[in-house]
Amino acid sequence: MMDMHSNIKDFQKLVSSIPNVGLDWHRKTILDHARDTANFITKNIKELKLPEGKDHSHAIVVSAGPGLHKNGSLKKIKEFNYKGVIIAVDGSLLHCLRTGVIPDFVLSLDPHPTRIVRWFGDPNFATHSKVDDYFTRQDLDIELRKKNIEGHLKDIDLVNQYAPKLKLLLSTTTSQNVESRTREAKFDRYWWNPLMDNPKEEGLTRELYKINKAPCVNTGGNVGTAAWVFATSIFKIPTIAMVGMDFGYQKSTPYTLTQTYKELLDTTGMSAEDDLSFLFPEFKNPLTLETCYTDPTYYWYRSNFFDLYKNSSSKTINCTESGILHGEGLECKYLDDFLSEVADG
Amino acid sequence: MEELLKGNYKVTKNIEIEAEEKSENNLTINFKKVALNSIGGSMVYVERNTLVWEGEEEAADKKNEIKSS
Repeated sequence: MMDMHSNIKDFQKLVSSIPNVGLDWHRKTILDHARDTANFITKNIKELKLPEGKDHSHAIVVSAGPGLHKNGSLKKIKEFNYKGVIIAVDGSLLHCLRTGVIPDFVLSLDPHPTRIVRWFGDPNFATHSKVDDYFTRQDLDIELRKKNIEGHLKDIDLVNQYAPKLKLLLSTTTSQNVESRTREAKFDRYWWNPLMDNPKEEGLTRELYKINKAPCVNTGGNVGTAAWVFATSIFKIPTIAMVGMDFGYQKSTPYTLTQTYKELLDTTGMSAEDDLSFLFPEFKNPLTLETCYTDPTYYWYRSNFFDLYKNSSSKTINCTESGILHGEGLECKYLDDFLSEVADG
Repeated sequence: MEELLKGNYKVTKNIEIEAEEKSENNLTINFKKVALNSIGGSMVYVERNTLVWEGEEEAADKKNEIKSS
């Protein structure tokens, strides 16, 4: 068993090693997808306009972390009849629509070949479920853990109903099935490239740009941060609130339901009976005083967010009311308070 | 077969195995795999300074300007 010092060292080593290896790992997939989607690009994000009739001085980024469900964030947004701009990530779309919150923009980034299409209603749900238990373990949309085929068909109908009214900000690296599903559902699609490396040097970002000439946007490594980058850098919204931006798990969530649990046990050779806490560091939320924990990947997302946050001119407020995204000068606030303040003008 | 072949000749070069380093590298590699599995293909590089890039031909123009309708 490793001692505490080596535990921290190993955790940090893992976190710092993610970016470059991941870039190599996904290079071929990303380029293949970009070449495929190039055939379908009719508009890119340079043609975007902020929605008429909305207050553009503030926005809410709706990410899909567990706090979104636990704290009833969407219900509050609906009840307050929020008038600002709403930018939702793909993983929160179904939850938004079920709650009656219609986002102005929906963002999709991940090139995963089978999982992401589920957020839009997957026509091949049954086949994909047989080979991947992701949706029975994930905590982004817990409704999807128990969905049967009938329930899933309702999701498809719901998405089909609203898609033509929704502006979808779709990464050129998305998978073929997300491209076809969102085309068939008639989303109003605007394409963009994820910024993969330093664009001033030859690399993947330049390769993507050469394929489709779409603007390249920094993502911070995940769709939630990417949605925030759109709010601050593309839409230049002065005040941005975030919900569902946990980057961590509720203390009550068993390690077995974390997204890397099986792989972590395999990797370390540890078993469920061992003390696994070094893989899941804990943080106390300064707003709620609740303790949450994270894993190496989410911790890396947190670090990325704060790097980008330093370059933002918007005022950002985390209204998730849980999770590990706090500190570094980032204001945390209860969503009710934010909604009351913007309603009062 | 393994038993028959084992040790039936002597190599001339002395090979030293850095056991500790090898173990540490394996751990790192395995950790990387864990992380990659967990991110499920999300973008994994973060450029620290640039938020948006629109190609060099447009670099001189005002960047990222999207006006309200």
